[in-house]
Amino acid sequence: MSFIEVDKLRKVYRLGNEKVVALDSISLNIEKGEICCILGTSGSGKSTFLNMLAGLEKATKGSVRIAGKNITAMTEKQLAEFRQSNTGFIFQSYNLLPSMDAVENVAMPLMFKGVKPAERNRKAEKMLKAVGLSERMHHRPTQMSGGQQQRVGIARALISKPPVVFADEPTGNLDTKTTAEVMEIVVKMCRKHNLTLILVTHDNDIAKYADRIVHIVDGKIESDYPNVSIVPPEPKELTDTEKILKSLDNSDKEKENKDETE
Amino acid sequence: MRIIDIIGMSFKSLWRRKVRTLLTVLGVVIGSCAIVVMISLGLGMDNAMKYYLKQFGDLNVITVYGNVWMEGQSEPTKITQENIEIIKNMNNVTGLFPKMALNDQMISVCAGRGNRYRRMYGEVYGIYPEYLEKFGYKLKEGEIPENFNSNYVIFGEQTAYNFFDTKKKRNNTTYPHELPDGTMSEPFFNPMEEQIMLYVNNQNKYVEDYMWGHYESAGKSNEYKMTCVGILDAQNSGGNWEAFDGIFVSMDFANELFNSYNKVNKIKDAKEPEISELKIYVDNIDNVAKVQEQVEALGYYCDSMESARQSMQGQLASLEAMLGGLAAISLFVAAIGITNTMIMSIYERTREIGVMKVLGCKIKNIREMFLIEAACIGFTGGMAGVILSYIISFIFNKFGSSMLGLDYMYQLNDGTVLPISLIPFWLVLVALVFSTLVGVLSGFYPANRAVKISALEAIKNE
Ligand SMILES: Nc1ncnc2c1ncn2[C@@H]1O[C@H](COP(=O)(O)OP(=O)(O)OP(=O)(O)O)[C@@H](O)[C@H]1O
Ligand SMILES: [Mg+2]
Repeated sequence: MSFIEVDKLRKVYRLGNEKVVALDSISLNIEKGEICCILGTSGSGKSTFLNMLAGLEKATKGSVRIAGKNITAMTEKQLAEFRQSNTGFIFQSYNLLPSMDAVENVAMPLMFKGVKPAERNRKAEKMLKAVGLSERMHHRPTQMSGGQQQRVGIARALISKPPVVFADEPTGNLDTKTTAEVMEIVVKMCRKHNLTLILVTHDNDIAKYADRIVHIVDGKIESDYPNVSIVPPEPKELTDTEKILKSLDNSDKEKENKDETE
Repeated sequence: MRIIDIIGMSFKSLWRRKVRTLLTVLGVVIGSCAIVVMISLGLGMDNAMKYYLKQFGDLNVITVYGNVWMEGQSEPTKITQENIEIIKNMNNVTGLFPKMALNDQMISVCAGRGNRYRRMYGEVYGIYPEYLEKFGYKLKEGEIPENFNSNYVIFGEQTAYNFFDTKKKRNNTTYPHELPDGTMSEPFFNPMEEQIMLYVNNQNKYVEDYMWGHYESAGKSNEYKMTCVGILDAQNSGGNWEAFDGIFVSMDFANELFNSYNKVNKIKDAKEPEISELKIYVDNIDNVAKVQEQVEALGYYCDSMESARQSMQGQLASLEAMLGGLAAISLFVAAIGITNTMIMSIYERTREIGVMKVLGCKIKNIREMFLIEAACIGFTGGMAGVILSYIISFIFNKFGSSMLGLDYMYQLNDGTVLPISLIPFWLVLVALVFSTLVGVLSGFYPANRAVKISALEAIKNE
């Protein structure tokens, strides 16, 4: 039994008399700790697929099981509880709450879980350090660059170490260099904690970070193969991000990381 | 999610839209203030009405007359001991005050050494001394002893003035009047300090002797040595005129005097001593009508402030309902304001609410956030409304009655001005609870809308 089991998942949108088949009978198994990229062109049904995995959208037919639980049969209430303890979400447009600073944003999932402020803020600060934002703890989203905001988003998605992390075009709003940094961080952290990452993108470069690439065309799986070029492109020089990653590798050693890329 | 965090989130979002929150709160302030002020005016009117009626008698008291008959009766129903017992055992009756007037018995009174001060007749009443104060009689001097025995008397305020001094040829009478130096004239003696004698007389001989000036030997009398334990304050005894010139003794002793009189005058077929009047104290003014009905069923003519009170209250009630209705409208408008503000804020926060849902916020918690927000608006508005009401009430009470030309309503005969607006503590509590409740109720619809927002909204890029 796989960690995530998708069985003949189908989604049909009805617009008046017209039917749009967004997903056509998709079956897929994903193992725990796998980093799986859903690749496809615009309108191929990637987001629809991801949203259904996360239980945000109802299936027309078929089922999704995560850790043995049937997501498709859950009520709204059960889904909220399931998401609270099992999933993390990274958004394309970051979706940080503007009235909260970085720490509060990161601590939010723990707040929903009922963790006391002192503890959750401590954890949030640790997470922010891990993504290299120790200098930006109390900045508001509007006071941060896109890359920084997305790192806050990553910290928020991962703070409760959810078994499944969903990311829909997490770098869609970022430039190439920042994209690389953000991707490195996400992938590294998921690997470190053995989290399953479902990554949706239309960008072949990003697909390279995954263990496995599932290609979707017109709501059907066109190909599904392990990533051959698992080694990302060779970096030219030692960037700040790599410093962060190094500090992640040997996190016992306290290393000061200045983040001035943005 | 911990409740403190839910409240924190609510506060944060209220704070973020300060101006709008403030304006919404202002609506509630006006609404709740209107209601509190209107009710306080109604309470003020109620209060004034009670004082107004009290000038004519205690509202809790029913007076039963032993010598007045109702339509259809050929003679009045006598107040008998038997019926007093029946009335005593009625529900809601907490005090009885029968008055046995010994007017026909011509009891004479003397005071001082050698019976220097005399009075041909005293208005002697048999009463239940333990209920004296309950029925509105106030003492000016002395106090009512717990064991009021047969030797005790209580004097009316001016009883001691109506004695004449047997040692003087001139100026041997006095009366209460103001002296040139502004003080009141004193009677010849202080009843609290002198021995008081009561005499039951042979009527015919007494009158004859008296006419010839043979005061010493007047009548063939039974004499009783008495001690005066108190003097009544007639002005403040609720319009009971006996408090001026009466002499109160215990009911038992009054019976003794009655029997003694019949013996001395050889009256064989004496009837039961006549109780001229019986006052009944009812625990609550709302029960007066009920008790009065029962007493009337015994065949008595009764009198109370009840019918006057009820007709006035009826008029007030409709006036209050009108004022209250006007105020309620303004609170209703405020409630719509809250709903409107919250719906607007939900439109703005659609994305945010979606994000929270995606991140695992429970539906219940989202609903709570919005309800608390609405409750906060209601509570804050109510609080400020109460404070504002106190200020308005203060201004009304200070300047209102003369400004509105309502002095005649709120000024008592003795010059005290009653408050136009009364805000008792319970009204404050009611206002706070009510405005919070209005807040919560107006928050229900928006909260349900927020709950229904799809988590997907957060992910859709605009
Ligand atoms: N709510 C909806 N109602 C009707 N049709 C929808 C709806 N959502 C998506 N679709 C259709 O389903 C198909 C797949 O949409 P989806 O959003 O999954 O595409 P995508 O692969 O994520 O594209 P992109 O890369 O542009 O985000 C599209 O043809 C789209 O028009
Ligand atoms: Mg998409």
